[in-house]
Amino acid sequence: MASVHESLYFNPMMTNGVVHANIFGIKDWVTPYKIAVLALLHEMSTTKPMALLDRRRLNKLILPLQQGPDLTLEQFLKIVEECCLRMVNAVKHRLFLMADGELQDMEHFFTILPNAFSDSEAFKTSVVGLFMRQMLLAYNKLSFSQVYKLYKSLQQYCHRVQPELSALPTEDMELTSNEDPSAEHIDKDELDTASLHQSELRSEGTSQGPLSQKQAEYFLARQAYLLKNDENKAMSPAKLQDELNNILKFNPDFAEAHYLSYLNSIRVQDIYISTHSLLHYFDRLILSGGEGKSNGDEGYGRSLRYAVLNLATLHCRFGHYQQADLALQEAIRIAQEANDHVCLQHCLSWLYTLEQMKGSDSVVLTEDSVKIAAHFCLPYLASLGIQSLVQQGAKQGMPANKLLDALRGTDIMHWKQSLSELIEISLAQTTSIWRMYGKSTMARQQAQLLLNMNSLEPVNFSVQQNNTEAFAVALCHLAELHAEQGLYAVVSDIMKHLKQQFPPHTQHAKLWMLCDLKIQFEKAMNDGKYHLAEPHVTAISALNSTEGLYRKAQLLKALNQTTEASQILQQLQQQCEKSKDIEMTIRVMLASAELHWDSSGFATALPLLLQALALSRQHNLQSLTSETLLHLAFTQLMLGIPEQALVLVQDVLESVLAHGSLIDKGRALLLAARCQMALAGAAAQEHRLTALEQAVHTLDEAAVYFSQLDCKERMRDIHYLQARLHHTLGNISQRNKCSMLFRLLDQELPSSGMTVVSHL
Amino acid sequence: MCDARDLDALCLAKSYFDLKEYDRAAYFLRGCRSQKAYFLYMYSRYLSGEKKKDDETVDSLGPLEKGQVRNEALRELRVELSKKHSAGELDGFALYLYGVVLRKLDLLKEAVEIFVAATHALPLHWGSWLELCNLITNIEMLKSLSLPECWVRDFFMAHMFTELQMIKEALQKYQSLMEAGFAKSTYIISQIAVAYHNIRDIDQALYLFNELREQDPFRIENMDTFSNLLYVRSMKPELSYLAHNLVEIDKYRVETCCVIGNYYSLRSQHEKAALYFQRALKLNPRCLGAWTLMGHEYMEMKNTSAAIQAYRHAIEVNKRDYRAWYGLGQTYEILKMPFYSLYYYRKAHQLRPNDSRMLVALGECYEKLSQQVEAKKCYWRAYSVGDVERMALLKLAKLHEQLNEFDDAAQCYIIYIQDIFSCGEQLEHAEVSTALRYLGQYYFKNKLYDEASLCAQRCCDYNDAREEGKALLRQISAVREQGEPSSTDLSVPCVFNPLSNNTTPVRRVSPLDLSSVTP
Repeated sequence: MASVHESLYFNPMMTNGVVHANIFGIKDWVTPYKIAVLALLHEMSTTKPMALLDRRRLNKLILPLQQGPDLTLEQFLKIVEECCLRMVNAVKHRLFLMADGELQDMEHFFTILPNAFSDSEAFKTSVVGLFMRQMLLAYNKLSFSQVYKLYKSLQQYCHRVQPELSALPTEDMELTSNEDPSAEHIDKDELDTASLHQSELRSEGTSQGPLSQKQAEYFLARQAYLLKNDENKAMSPAKLQDELNNILKFNPDFAEAHYLSYLNSIRVQDIYISTHSLLHYFDRLILSGGEGKSNGDEGYGRSLRYAVLNLATLHCRFGHYQQADLALQEAIRIAQEANDHVCLQHCLSWLYTLEQMKGSDSVVLTEDSVKIAAHFCLPYLASLGIQSLVQQGAKQGMPANKLLDALRGTDIMHWKQSLSELIEISLAQTTSIWRMYGKSTMARQQAQLLLNMNSLEPVNFSVQQNNTEAFAVALCHLAELHAEQGLYAVVSDIMKHLKQQFPPHTQHAKLWMLCDLKIQFEKAMNDGKYHLAEPHVTAISALNSTEGLYRKAQLLKALNQTTEASQILQQLQQQCEKSKDIEMTIRVMLASAELHWDSSGFATALPLLLQALALSRQHNLQSLTSETLLHLAFTQLMLGIPEQALVLVQDVLESVLAHGSLIDKGRALLLAARCQMALAGAAAQEHRLTALEQAVHTLDEAAVYFSQLDCKERMRDIHYLQARLHHTLGNISQRNKCSMLFRLLDQELPSSGMTVVSHL
Repeated sequence: MCDARDLDALCLAKSYFDLKEYDRAAYFLRGCRSQKAYFLYMYSRYLSGEKKKDDETVDSLGPLEKGQVRNEALRELRVELSKKHSAGELDGFALYLYGVVLRKLDLLKEAVEIFVAATHALPLHWGSWLELCNLITNIEMLKSLSLPECWVRDFFMAHMFTELQMIKEALQKYQSLMEAGFAKSTYIISQIAVAYHNIRDIDQALYLFNELREQDPFRIENMDTFSNLLYVRSMKPELSYLAHNLVEIDKYRVETCCVIGNYYSLRSQHEKAALYFQRALKLNPRCLGAWTLMGHEYMEMKNTSAAIQAYRHAIEVNKRDYRAWYGLGQTYEILKMPFYSLYYYRKAHQLRPNDSRMLVALGECYEKLSQQVEAKKCYWRAYSVGDVERMALLKLAKLHEQLNEFDDAAQCYIIYIQDIFSCGEQLEHAEVSTALRYLGQYYFKNKLYDEASLCAQRCCDYNDAREEGKALLRQISAVREQGEPSSTDLSVPCVFNPLSNNTTPVRRVSPLDLSSVTP
């Protein structure tokens, strides 16, 4: 979870991860559409007797109408019509009265407008009252020629609609649709110039009318929110960029649009435009930021610091660690000069993230960061640091109780402060930790807890945030857990959801891609379809080189190319020692031990396995411990000490059956059965039969697991063993049945060089 | 003949047109058939639309609508003109107008075609060429156009080369034009002067501008460039004279305001300078130079945020304005954000790849960020492209010195000293003494006592290095008294032999060369 920070775009207006909206002044002016809305409001307040349902529907309509972009009259009327039929006619009547009459009629409308509101339920300070007063103010400020122009455009606005009233467009009218009010106008004009170029038409079709400042701000806020919380619902990158360019064309000083453009281009991984937009945004912000208060807490010195910090995050995101490092140092230096501890703290938390991403040890830095954050009362950064520490601690084998304690401690604080993002991270982290320890039930439970939790974040635009890394991690774990139990239908459902929620170009998509590939690889390997597994190895290497190498070794081992496999494993071993990746180290050891088996070097495998056992015990990795124990038991069996082997297997069987994957369960039982068989061979006659029957029973159990997984190779082995056992026991019919099953499978499968004896 | 029939209406309309009553002019021309009248008719309608647009900008309905105000006549004009065009009824002037209309509608590709057609129809109409010039962005595009074979084409090509910063080619063109009989054209002289200004050949440019002013004393065009040159050379009296002269001719011209701004700036009255640049911008908001200059003034006044604003405006007007990018870089460097300013310097460098100032600035930033390797590359490149300020080598030498690369440092100092002396003029910031001091020590360390004492003696010519020079001389004589021989072995690891592990391919100079250089 190294990129936890990246979900936060450091915005100077942000404190503790919450972006405070600007409080805007009057930045609105009268347009024909606004007059139409005013007419609607006026009619609503004057028409006293109205059906409650109609009124409620209309009331719900007011806010979107006020905030949304300008609509054409027909769109507007259609929306109103859906709420209240009677109202449409009244509004239309009033509008056309103005448009068909004289300028005086419009002036009259504005004079009687305040009267209607004076005695109604619309208070001066209500949304409606404010809107109305703003409009009046804006209207009164207009000069003579402006009033005339407004009237002319009102006439245009009203009369454009008339000829088309008969054929209303049937398109789905969203409030948010950015239909250009002048588009039709242009189209009509274009009709008589049919000979003109297609490209010309397009270039004009896209040039949209301007939004008012308020509408633009609303648009930006909405898109930014969607980008952060649910990218799929936001506009497509190209369209959004068009829209932003449009806004910027009409008002180049609109700095926020540059910021959104930055976010948008990050979305499509365009470093060039994103850098450009980011710097442009801050250049503009510096202007609008309080002048004179330079270098103060609020002045433009502050935005300078955050500008550099943002640049650092940008480089971080694109993996330019050196650049990020330089930018970060710069941010730290100027923050130090300005004594801005909060900014410094942000820098510090980025510093350790950067170190982590670079793969170096950053525990000391993180600890410092947590201490300082706590000192300056920045709970968000403090617990983010603690979570980072927990992650590192888990990797380095800190005692489990300490880690979980730390997480619980911070959780209490998160709930107190309603830091929902951190709660999510904490849950996902617990899932990961449990999974690492090999406690699948606990992991599943935590993942479900996260997915079923109601977010504390307010739900805006009917979108709930569920695209954070935490969700992706939890879902991936769930998918893997289900795959382990052989529930591949569920897995594909989860993957479908992930694909939809985190489209391939997004930041966290790599998580599920890797997870998906791993599952498919495992499946192909279990089925013995090595040719299918091969392309997955290449794909995995692209996402994670270490994992890719490991899988490659596994594949080579399965294909009996032992020399190559052992070379790769040695290489991996060195890599893991360098990066201190304990889980991978143990896996590599186990794989090497299996290679030793292939060359019948059972005794040489022992020290490796013991080392792996010590490591896994030290790091509380239970699933790996039991796996190692099974390996040990198998080695002992091969070395001819089945008593010891059986004791080991029985010790570990309980935890495998409780937490292990299907294949592990089957393998453990198969091994147990073989130990029992070996013991029975040595036992006295009277015990022998019972022992053999026990073995048959165990094999039956193992067969259940393998058949669930549809793992034919193993089934063949089991049938073979069962046939032998039944033969010894004298159950001829049973024997014949088993041998027939064996024969069927053996014909179906390509004959592998491996015999039953030589693998676990 | 249509011309004769339309003559009366045309005369009447022309008079109205001259009085800027465009609608009235268009009204009386509406029935005319002749080409001339048709052009005037359409042109009046176009200008009327433009005028209304300008008027409406003042009282538009809101700040965001400002950009939306457009010439309403354009669309109708295009429809009519395109019909006539496809019928092949347009003459050169009308084609020009059609092109202008298309350009205003942002249909650039079509506009280029029309302008090319216009130049073919009427090669001697400079307006079409100028419009074409604004639409051509690179040399490939220029080469791909099929232009009429006419002597005006040479003027156009020369102008285009200047615009595309291909100064050498431009100068050649102008030279051949002068030889072909345009020697007295003030236009060509001014263009050559501007070209020299662009490659920072200040002396040549100044000479030409002075000549231009003699031949054309009431000229205001290009005088802002002249004032820039005077400013760079700090020629106060000349600048003051120019400013007063221009004010007498016409004080409400953009160029005049820029000259006055420069004048105040040179007198360190930056507030007033900024005021005059603002006035220039009021006269023409698209005047690029004024935005940048205003940014410089705000920088002088330490008003960094206003400076950033001004530079950003300049970039908005023209994205290719390297001075504005450079200015932004400088601003952030002053704010002690070298990494941040790297981006802006890079932009500027991209636009002027062979300008040493950007490279030196880049190098300085890298040095501040302790990226010595990059810094060295920048300085070396700056020297290679012809360092105007002669600082790159000195900085490179100091960098080598810091990195304990003594041989390279010595080499750089040697070339630096040669450069300084060979260019003849005395530069204010020249640090010959530093170089000499270092070289003296360096030779002393390498036991080349003759060279060392030569350097030490030279050191004594400079106030700040005199004491050290004397001390070094004393040391040398002390060593010599002990009888230690001067090393003559040329294979010692020093300046004589190129080192294989050398990162910068400094050309090797024997230290003895120094004696031949006379200050």
